[in-house]
Amino acid sequence: METYLYITSVIGVYIGFAVFIGGMGWRIYQWASTPKSPVRLGMFPKPKTGTGRFFKMLKDTFIAPHSAQIAPVMWTFAFIFHFAALAVVIGHLHIVMEYPFLPELLGPAGMESLATIAGGIAGVLMLVGILFWIGRRTFGAYKNLSVPEDYLLLALLLGIVLMGDHMRFVGNLEPDTYRVWFNSILAFRPLIPAEMIGSNTGLSLGTHMLFTDLFLIYFPFSKMVHMFGAFSANLVRSE
Amino acid sequence: METTQISTLTGVLDKKMTRQLKQYLDICARCSICKDACHQYVATQDIKYLPAYRADLIRKVYKKYFTKAGEFVPALYEGRDPDDNLLDQLYESTYACTGCRRCMYYCPFSIDTTWILSVAKAMLIAAGRGNEMLGQLADAAIFKGDNFEMFRDVLMDGMHDIEKEVQDLMDDPTATIPVDKQDADILYVALAGAHTIRPAAIIFNQAKANWTISLFEAANYGFFFGDMDKARQIADRFMDEAIRLNVKEVVITECGHAYRVAETFHEAWTRKKHPFKVRHILEVMDEYIKDGRITVDPKAFTVPVTYHDPCQVGRNGGIFEQPRDIVKAIAPDFRDLTPNREKQWCCGGGGGLVAISEMDDMRIKSGKIKAEQIRVTGAKIIATPCENCRLQIEALNESENLGIEIKSIMDMVVEAMPLKGRPSASTAAE
Repeated sequence: METYLYITSVIGVYIGFAVFIGGMGWRIYQWASTPKSPVRLGMFPKPKTGTGRFFKMLKDTFIAPHSAQIAPVMWTFAFIFHFAALAVVIGHLHIVMEYPFLPELLGPAGMESLATIAGGIAGVLMLVGILFWIGRRTFGAYKNLSVPEDYLLLALLLGIVLMGDHMRFVGNLEPDTYRVWFNSILAFRPLIPAEMIGSNTGLSLGTHMLFTDLFLIYFPFSKMVHMFGAFSANLVRSE
Repeated sequence: METTQISTLTGVLDKKMTRQLKQYLDICARCSICKDACHQYVATQDIKYLPAYRADLIRKVYKKYFTKAGEFVPALYEGRDPDDNLLDQLYESTYACTGCRRCMYYCPFSIDTTWILSVAKAMLIAAGRGNEMLGQLADAAIFKGDNFEMFRDVLMDGMHDIEKEVQDLMDDPTATIPVDKQDADILYVALAGAHTIRPAAIIFNQAKANWTISLFEAANYGFFFGDMDKARQIADRFMDEAIRLNVKEVVITECGHAYRVAETFHEAWTRKKHPFKVRHILEVMDEYIKDGRITVDPKAFTVPVTYHDPCQVGRNGGIFEQPRDIVKAIAPDFRDLTPNREKQWCCGGGGGLVAISEMDDMRIKSGKIKAEQIRVTGAKIIATPCENCRLQIEALNESENLGIEIKSIMDMVVEAMPLKGRPSASTAAE
């Protein structure tokens, strides 16, 4: 177990983040260094001012109101998934440091139930979104449009979320234990707490991290780059 | 498959690579939200018309030849060579696209599929597989520009005939169709055919505008064909004339793509700013009516009238209200189509498709959505300022038994003008 955790949850984390940051930096550099088309690709109606364009871009990117009008079911699942994912990312900051204000406000028991309820709901919603997409790509008209990349990403996400949900609903580790592990990685003095190795969560954490590492490594080379590219592409809409 | 073909076609893709294209190819999630936006996919349920699928054909080449991951594991992206098989598929998916950009409107990332397909057209042309008819029409226009002296006398004769008709209709022997008029305010660019010259001439004469007409037509088959050099040469013919005559503005006739070529593309192709404004005749007519420079009968058309937004005029050109205002000024019973303006459905005839006979069946099938929209309005006249839309709606009128009259806005305005020379002077058709 210790070796598995060392590979997936220490070395893998370093490699994953290095490839993610380096790869994404390279991707964004490639975008920025490719000359823009001199043709304005915008469409109408469009805001007249730069500020108007900027806010429209934010609205189009975060809410995608047009997509909601034409594909309400897909939009609903996508919206739920993305916001659950955002909530999960924020929730994971808990393993970097204790939140400000919240513990004083809620007390230890309050914090525990917030984590269980919010984290649990977000984890389940992400799972629902992923299963919907897998079903859609496997049985819908989208089957012929889909390429292996689509399934690979969904498989990685499914692994991450299933294992994450296992830790959330079955696991018995305290946030402090995760924080010790993660901060040791951030400090480049990696250690794996004994509680982790001995707990019923060790395997699910290791596997959660294995899928996460692979996801991070693959991210810059996949369509996942829409997370960064959507902003500028939506800005082009009103140029 | 020859390696030279691969290097030629990937070379075209490389040459056409822009930041927008790269991003579009990188970020599309194949979510298919675009599927219900495309009239061709909705009508046929054939995946080759699904916008994300059309774009993915190019993306497969891009992944294999332009990305490290795709070079390394092409199977992951179904990376492909630009071989004959791909070009066959590309031809159908690309030349079928009307360029309406409705998919872009609904895409969560605003991916411009038409822009991706413009690169596909460049690749097809490089492989000698561009659409023949569109290519010939483009070459004919360039030939006319290069050998203009051959055509000049015939065109001038035609112009004099139209001028005579205009004088008769207006009962005004001073009405003119000026050609080559230095320092005119307006250079009007029509289509080939008197139907886009006569009504404009009446309107300009009535408004006492300082105008001149180009002997070159605004239509641009180089644009539809997908060869932007040819498209530029075709537009140059009247753009150079506008500079030579020192006009204040170029006014494009009722046409969708010609307006967009003149207003949006030409400056980008030449990388020079026009020393004149470019406007659509719709904007000019609307201004003339509102300023009282032309008088129209507000009850000229008593039957219900509807309006179809041509994609290149509306969603892609930004002209939504002027044509509606014009129609409302002459027809009290105006009924909009649903959906309309930026959400409007393409009629199915754009992108030069009306000139591609092999796609006729699909074109008519894809227009059924528009036909139904028209039918439910109960309108007896549909006005639309685009030649391709009019041809397509004429065809739909026949195939779907719509029983509707299809008119240009200019024709309607002229019918609503009290012209002295008209047999029954007051007004118009019903």
